[in-house]
Amino acid sequence: MGLVPVLFGISLLVFLFLKLIPGDPAQAILGERGSPEQLQALREKLGLNRPLHVQYLTFLRNVLTGDLGVSAVSTIPVAEELKRRWPATFELALSATLVAVALGIPLGILAAVRKNSLLDTLSMSLSLLGVSIPVFWLGLLLVYLFAVNLHWLPTGGRLSTDLALDFRPITGFLVLDGLLSLKPQVVLDALRHLLLPALTLGTIPLAILTRITRGAMLEVLSQDYVRTARAKGLSERQVILKHALKNALLPVVTIVGLQFGTLLGGAILTETIFSWPGIGSYIYEGILNRDYPVVQAGVLVVATAFVLVNLLVDLSYALLDPRIQYR
Amino acid sequence: MKRALLGLLAVLGLGLAQKTLVFGANGEPVSLEPGNITDGISIYVQRQIYDTLVDFKPGSTEVTAGLATSWFSSADGKVWTFRLRQGIRFQDGTELTAEAVKFNVERWWDPKNPTRIDAAARYEIWLELFGGFKGDPGSLLKEVQVVDKYTVRFVLTQPFPAFPAAIGSGYFGIASPSAIRKDGAKYGSPTGSAVGTGPFRLVEWRPGEQIVLERNPNYWHKGLPKMDRVVIKVIKDPAARLAALKAGTIDFTTDIPPANLKDLEADPNLQAVFRPSFNVGYLALNPAYKPLSDPRVRQAIAMAINKKAIVQGFWGKLGVTDGHFTPPSMRAFQSPKVTDYEYNPQKAKALLAEAGYPNGFDLELWYMPVSRPYFPTPKEIAEAMAADLSALGIRVRLQTKDWASYLADRKKAPGFQAYMLGWTGDYSDPQNFYDPHFACPIADLFDSAGKPLCVKELGDLLTKAATTPGLEERKRLYQQADELTFNLALRIPIVHSQPLLAKRRNVTGWTPSPLGSESFETLEKR
Repeated sequence: MGLVPVLFGISLLVFLFLKLIPGDPAQAILGERGSPEQLQALREKLGLNRPLHVQYLTFLRNVLTGDLGVSAVSTIPVAEELKRRWPATFELALSATLVAVALGIPLGILAAVRKNSLLDTLSMSLSLLGVSIPVFWLGLLLVYLFAVNLHWLPTGGRLSTDLALDFRPITGFLVLDGLLSLKPQVVLDALRHLLLPALTLGTIPLAILTRITRGAMLEVLSQDYVRTARAKGLSERQVILKHALKNALLPVVTIVGLQFGTLLGGAILTETIFSWPGIGSYIYEGILNRDYPVVQAGVLVVATAFVLVNLLVDLSYALLDPRIQYR
Repeated sequence: MKRALLGLLAVLGLGLAQKTLVFGANGEPVSLEPGNITDGISIYVQRQIYDTLVDFKPGSTEVTAGLATSWFSSADGKVWTFRLRQGIRFQDGTELTAEAVKFNVERWWDPKNPTRIDAAARYEIWLELFGGFKGDPGSLLKEVQVVDKYTVRFVLTQPFPAFPAAIGSGYFGIASPSAIRKDGAKYGSPTGSAVGTGPFRLVEWRPGEQIVLERNPNYWHKGLPKMDRVVIKVIKDPAARLAALKAGTIDFTTDIPPANLKDLEADPNLQAVFRPSFNVGYLALNPAYKPLSDPRVRQAIAMAINKKAIVQGFWGKLGVTDGHFTPPSMRAFQSPKVTDYEYNPQKAKALLAEAGYPNGFDLELWYMPVSRPYFPTPKEIAEAMAADLSALGIRVRLQTKDWASYLADRKKAPGFQAYMLGWTGDYSDPQNFYDPHFACPIADLFDSAGKPLCVKELGDLLTKAATTPGLEERKRLYQQADELTFNLALRIPIVHSQPLLAKRRNVTGWTPSPLGSESFETLEKR
């Protein structure tokens, strides 16, 4: 298994990079105030007085025993906070990926099939715009258009204030929780809250996916077996969706997996604009506050998720292409 | 019949009777345990749940009755006695007594107290305001005594006239001892309780999302609060918060960037609200650097900076400039003789020549790498000051470094030559502004030998002002300190800024406190 050395390397890198940041975290936490005694006391509490290797080994030992440490700012255990936040991140990442897949793949196929048509040019220009648009700008634009001016959708958060008052989440996945507790108004409200952040977050993966799908399809469509399939008299629909698409999917699935893995790491900007209580904003706050335990554990968990998603993608190759086998 | 019908409606959850106000918070509270944290948003939420021994008149820094209806000190100023309001109950039903006050104070003061939640280094605000913990040589507090059920007494090691203002500051809400004992380390966290005597009680805290507070039906201030429920929604991004306010998702909020003032004023549904200033942004001039050891040079610099233009340009309506180190809300302690340095480059140049620098000198000016309420855009402000100083021939080199190093290195001899920083007050007494910056020895300014600076005349004056019991006498002493610091020009006050807040027009009854947080009890939504 390559997983263990990768994670070990990540833990070491995160630890060392944090130490490279100049300045004393204790001073950063205390701000304009802080007597030498206060500083000293805080350094001791945070374990900053001990030698570097001792600090790292302690961290590693704790992680291996399932203890991710305690936030230096809030004193809430990091594991508890990550557990509470991951459903929000997962729900958003999944929705954004769905947006990207549901729109990106058909658009890419259409663009490839109608190569050089107006549709092709249009979708390629749009996807170029999609990858270049700054996320925070797009997010704010959508908020001002759909929430502030049109009042169609909420500005942020995961549920409306009045609904959130008497709804107790079960799993933390609000759409699912709404279904489980048979509250259609919660499902609807949660979906309304998901729409803008999912669109914002999904735009870049959508644009990338459209381009990749188009490229892969074009390559496959020019191959002999496609010509053979057409010669056999199969309908164009069958040729494209059954024969060509399946072979073109390999690179597409890889990209979907990579993008989903990235989104799981939390989308700092999107989460911030939409007040989405996920992992990204948690780690970001941790970086700003020099909250070492939060950053170390947060990055480690995100990296693990990323590695696992990629493992799943690798395994799915075997399903898509019988020529690939894992022993 | 009508009442029964209304009751039925309420039971059916139609929500007709519930008046809810939604506040957009710029962050998540760290903890709702009083005395253990200092961040603004934690204190703001705590202010709704807890009361303090003394309170402050709305919109001012003037001390008034809180949980205590009266208080007085002994003739030597070392013993403070507080008489509590009788018959007040915590939100868990237990009674507020002198024992309960003592319980709270001892947790903050005594590092060995078993009910402390000591997961991180905390309770530092006690250390800062009261000189030390129990057993420390510098501790101002010697003993807390229960005189009778409703009278509590504090015995101090030295006179501290500002004691009521300090112990009444928002950090020190009085919590229910039984709730703290029951919850242990969970107290004040999202999974625990937070129980005080204040206008609202904590119902639920969903981290990263919202905090729900409900009207305390037994609140001692009859007729308040006016709303049934306050929901505090966490929206960290200022642009997102403004959007939520425009859309009506939230009713009122704080911490709006000054650049949005025009936008607020243009929207007919919204209203800009200003919090009276309780801070100072200053330029420190360090005498360890030879040209700056001459007071005439420092005064020339003060005269050469066009403070009015800078404040107008960078703050507009949101800032005022004057010659006082204390903010305008402390007018009583300011000398009428101190107005401001006259902006006069010619005079400044002449003064500089008189001091022996007709052609100016090189100066390293440090600006903060982060934005603070008193200096929202440090670099641009530094550039403006540098441009003004170049008229005197002073060749400014702008410098900065990361925030933690910036804060630490200014205290390492010989310190920075000139640097920008500021201060926001903790409690309503001039001592809290003067002592951290001018009491001997000054931690971040140095003499020519590289030792922390001590201006004896000023240091003695501050010690006297801090320990003199009579208010009138203290006013006189602090007015002297005001004149002295003005003439010394060691820290040139550039601005007192007013934080920008905003609300929807249908929200009334909001009087922001200069001290940073006020109760929502008088707020109403029409």
